[in-house]
Order: sequence, then C-alpha cells, then structure tokens
Amino acid sequence: MSDIQLVNLVKSYGEMQAVKKISLHIKEGEFFSLLGPSGCGKSTTLRMIAGFVMPSAGRILIGSDEVTHLPPEKRDIGIVFQNYAIFPHMSVAENIAFGLKLRKKSQAEIEITVTSALRQVGLVGYEDRYQRQLSGGEQQRVALARVLVTKPRILLLDEPLSALDKALREEMKYWIKELQRTLGITTVYVTHDQDEALTMSDRIGVMQKGRLEQVGSPEDIYERPETLFVTTFIGHSNVINVTVKGRDNGKTVVSFGANTILARALEGEVAPGSAAKLVVRPENVVIGRTGEGLPATVLTENYQGALVRYRLSLGEQEIVVERQNQSNVSRFAPGEEVGVSWDPERSEVLVA
Amino acid sequence: MYGMAVTVGSDGRVIRPAILIRIARGPAFWWLVVPAVVFFIIFFLVPTASLFALAFNKPATGVIDLSAALSIDNFIRIFTRSIYYEAIFRSIGIASLVCIVGLLLGYPLAYVIAKTSNPGRNALLMVLVLSSMQLDMVIRLYGLMVLLGDNGLINSTLLDLGLIKAPLPLMYNIFGVVVGLVQITLPFMILSLIGSITSIHPSLEEAARSLGASRARAFFSVVFPMSMPGILAGTLIVFSLAMSSYVVPALMGGWKVLVMPIHIYQQVAETGRWQFGAAIAVVLFVSGLLAITLYHLAAMRAAGGRS
Ligand SMILES: Nc1ncnc2c1ncn2[C@@H]1O[C@H](COP(=O)(O)OP(=O)(O)OP(=O)(O)O)[C@@H](O)[C@H]1O
Ligand SMILES: [Mg+2]
Repeated sequence: MSDIQLVNLVKSYGEMQAVKKISLHIKEGEFFSLLGPSGCGKSTTLRMIAGFVMPSAGRILIGSDEVTHLPPEKRDIGIVFQNYAIFPHMSVAENIAFGLKLRKKSQAEIEITVTSALRQVGLVGYEDRYQRQLSGGEQQRVALARVLVTKPRILLLDEPLSALDKALREEMKYWIKELQRTLGITTVYVTHDQDEALTMSDRIGVMQKGRLEQVGSPEDIYERPETLFVTTFIGHSNVINVTVKGRDNGKTVVSFGANTILARALEGEVAPGSAAKLVVRPENVVIGRTGEGLPATVLTENYQGALVRYRLSLGEQEIVVERQNQSNVSRFAPGEEVGVSWDPERSEVLVA
Repeated sequence: MYGMAVTVGSDGRVIRPAILIRIARGPAFWWLVVPAVVFFIIFFLVPTASLFALAFNKPATGVIDLSAALSIDNFIRIFTRSIYYEAIFRSIGIASLVCIVGLLLGYPLAYVIAKTSNPGRNALLMVLVLSSMQLDMVIRLYGLMVLLGDNGLINSTLLDLGLIKAPLPLMYNIFGVVVGLVQITLPFMILSLIGSITSIHPSLEEAARSLGASRARAFFSVVFPMSMPGILAGTLIVFSLAMSSYVVPALMGGWKVLVMPIHIYQQVAETGRWQFGAAIAVVLFVSGLLAITLYHLAAMRAAGGRS
C-alpha cells in the first residue's frame, strides 16, 4: 500500500492539452475521487498513473518509487475499467488466476486464493462461468477480485458504475467503499457523478478542462466551493450577480439591485465596486412572509414529494429555493409576495 | 454506408426502422432469401451437379451428355495413378502453405491497422491492402512474372551485381505458385483478421498489462486467442481460394506444378474427356471440404467449445 504523488503532470495531444500541470498528493489508504464533466481529463490522468498514457511532462511517484517511465506491468497497480474487461475466452476462475499465474504462484496456492477471492466478492460457485454468463454487477465483482488477488499497491477505477442500472449502482457504491475501507488500499476513483464522489470519497479533486479546480473533503467541496465552476458543477446553486461594497465585521458586503447583504468573508483583497457572484444553495434559503428578509415574488411551485421547490424572482434575478415538505410548514402560491433570507456564512462571494 | 439508417437508443440497443420490423416479423421476411437462392440454384447448383453426375460415366472423348450407364472407373483411375492422387496432396499442401504464409504476413499488418488510431495512416494502409484487388488476377500475375522470371527484375539485378551466376528458379515451380497465391489471397486474409482484431476491446489488453503481463504476453494470452474467429475465417477463405485456383498454378507454375485444377483443365479442354475431368473436380471438391471440416473441428476442439 502506498501513496501517490503527481508532480506538474502534463499531457498534450498535439496542440490540445488534455491535462494541464496537475500536482496532487493522494495519501496512503485514501479513497480519492477525480470528479469532473466529460472530457475534462480524468481518464487521461488515471491512465497516466496506470502507465497506459505517457505524460508529456511531470512525474508520477507511487510510494517512494518514481514510475513515470515504467510500463504498466511494472507498476504494481490494479485497474478496473468501465466495461470490466473480463477476458471472454477464460472462465471466471481463469480470469482471477491470470495475475497469479504471471507471478508464478503454485497451482495449489492459486486455487486457494481464487476460492477465497470469490468468497470475498460473493461469487462462490461462479468459477466455471464465462463473461457472457455474468450480469454487469457480477462482471464488476470478478474484475475487482481479479485485481485484488494480485495485492496491488494502488487501486484505480475508471467510472466502474456507469454501465450499471440505478439500483445496482447504489448497491455497488456502498459495497466498493466498504471493500476499500476493509482493505485500506489507496484508491483513485474517476467519475462524473457527484453523488458517487460525495458518498464514497475521503477527498475529491474536481477537474475542469485539464485543471484541478479544487481538492478537498466532500464537505469542503459541497459547502465551501472555491470556484464558480465547482459551485455550479456540484449540486444546484443559485448564482446571483452582485457588486462588492466592502467589508463589515469579517464579512463581505455585497449589493444587487436595491438589496445590500452580508456574505461569508472573501479571501484576499477585493476592490470595492468589483463585480462578483454570490452563491447560495437552494436548501439554504429560507422563505418567510413579506418583510422577513429580501422582498421576492413566487414564480412557480414544484411539488417533489419530500421537497417542494420554488422559483422566485429576487430583484431582477431568479433563484431556486427548496424546502422540506413537512406538515407544519406553510406553502406559497405563485404570485405571492414573500421574504427570503439565508445565513451569510452559507453564502459565498466568488470574484469572477 | 447507404440503405436503411440504423439508430442506437440511449440504452445501446439498436432501434430498427419500422419497415424492417414489419418485414422481420411477417412471412415476408422469408421471401427475402428467394432471389439469391434462385440465382444460386440456376447458376451454381444445376451446372455443378450435372458436371459431378458426369463423373460417374465412362470417359468418352467429346461427349458431354449424361448416360444411364454409371461407373466408378474414373475414380479408380484417380486413386491408382500416382500422377493424380499425388495432385490431391499437392493441392492440399500448397493451399495449407499459402494459409500459413498469408497468416504470417497478414497478421502483423492487420494488427497494426486494427490498432492505429491515426485515421490518415490507417487509410493509407487500407488502400495498400485493397489496391491490389482493383486489378484483375491475370494482370497481377503478369506483373509477378516480370518480377520473378529468369530475365525478371530480381534475377537480372542479382546477375548484374554478380551475386549469382545463373538465374534463380523463382517461377514455374511451387515457390512461384505459392507467391502468386499469397499475393492473390492476402487481402482476404488481412480483411478478416482486421475485423476480428478490431472487435477486441483495447481495455482487455490493458487489463492484462495491468495484471503484470508484458506486451508480448498480453498479446499471446489475450489478443491472439481472441482473434481466432478471424484467423479461422481468413484461413478458410484463403484455403478454398488457393485449393481451387487454376489461373495461378497455370501462369506461375507453367503447367509444371500439377495441382488438381490443372488436371481438370487438361482433361476437359485438351483431351475433351469431360467425364474424367468431372471426376477430378468431384475429388477436388470433396477433399477440400474434408480438409476444411477437419481443420474446423480441430480448431473448435482447441478452443474448448468456449466461443
Ligand atoms: N488519444 C487521444 N488523442 C487525442 N485526444 C485525446 C486522446 N485521449 C483523450 N483525448 C482528449 O483529451 C481530453 C480528455 O480526455 P479524457 O478521456 O481524459 O476525459 P474524461 O474526463 O475521462 O471524460 P469522460 O468523462 O468523457 O470519460 C478529451 O478532450 C479527449 O478528447
Ligand atoms: Mg473517461
């Protein structure tokens, strides 16, 4: 088991830079997710760690070993692909034994290891099946077993759940996380699904256009997004155009339209008068009667079972508000005048 | 590609246009085979069957009418005269050799074409493979003769350089026939190999690498066995083409390499003994079929019934 260090990692395809100078330290035993939209360079980064893509510049260290120029088979890694890549011409047992045979284990040891691996992934009795006789979830488990028996130093997963249906995806999400926790193996998990990243990870690196936008715990990423991109990519956020007025008592004063309000302190100095974005999550906005906060008008009410979602007009702009649908809270009708407010600490100013 | 557009749904399943569904479900579906079957019966089955029937009449020079007096004299003659039964083995041997040489030459090229993602380079290699098929076989063989003949390019160059004293026998022997047959059949081999190698997802090779296999090991334990269907298809096509070829042994072998099609031609066209020629054709057909079937069974057994 090892940590992973990426130092100024770059990958260019001709003019196009798929990965732009990423530096990152993934700790030993950590479950680290690379999260970002399609084409942001997640897979390229993972494949550089695996050794399938040679970096254009920069270094990769696994533990204390520099592996930047090693071929994949010398890196002692395990990787699970989106399509699981079960060898179709080999049985489940032969698939799992593949890495063990390459390591010249004795036949007896291989049999014992394969059996216990099948027990670990809950596939006892599947030894003689072939890939075409397995469901997606079962293939996934075989792929993991095949990797884990070789005791790799790190585990790499590239969108391993995206080919499964929703119910199975939920189940596998917890199962993989649990397995990882039990083994304590350093894991890099690539996904474009924020739910997966938020529920499974110890830390998340949010990527956009080949850059790491923010690295932090799921809470950091969700509660304290550092860039507008992270804000809008993770969950839904209201983004209100504001003007920075100055500081007050450790908070930032901003105004939009006729409203002036406080928000969480900005880091660094910002000249009064600069344009900025105020970010508030829908679940953090409180709706009350007129006078209780900023004046707003209900545009639509959208019933969603456990939640009720409102679209409001606030000044010249629109925001979305979510409320828990409990019996003791009043509902609002379209056209109704209301007041909205939020905890300044739950709102963020991002200077564009 | 033209014709009916095929759309793929969000779940990856192919969505068929309504008209295809209607045809596929109704009895109309089965009428689609009629034109090809009728063509096949009239222009292949009937003439071939009558030729084969002729094989069971005693030879009568210049007669091509079927007579009721059946006999197996022709077959007895084939299997008792070494000039004829040796031709069977010669034909099978040359066809097998052509398969092996074609596979050795074709596989690396097919692998590179299948793995090249650069579209320009890929197109260039494909053109290289397919361009030879644009010319008629006879023309391509004349080209080969210019290269391989006693006064051909190779021999005259080597003679001029003083590397040899007398021209090398590159033609009018088995070597020339094999070169000719490989040249003619290579595109078929390569095309069927490309098809099966392309269908192997690259992640399979990568999975093998990540599990500790070297590039060569990953190739031999994953790519090669998985390309078996292509190897099988390619060798079967090439074998059939090589075994039944008349033009190549005639031109490149100069009538000295006596394979079965040469005998057939001699019997029919030169001596007018249709019945005996037909009998050799029957033996050619049956032995080719037999060889292919045995090969197929062996390959299936080697695959362990896995595919
Ligand atoms: N071999 C290649 N040649 C040229 N461009 C490439 C190559 N591989 C990837 N790219 C480009 O690099 C960028 C990043 O690709 P990458 O596969 O890392 O994206 P991703 O974040 O994994 O996206 P997705 O979620 O769609 O898998 C993309 O714009 C892609 O087109
Ligand atoms: Mg990807």
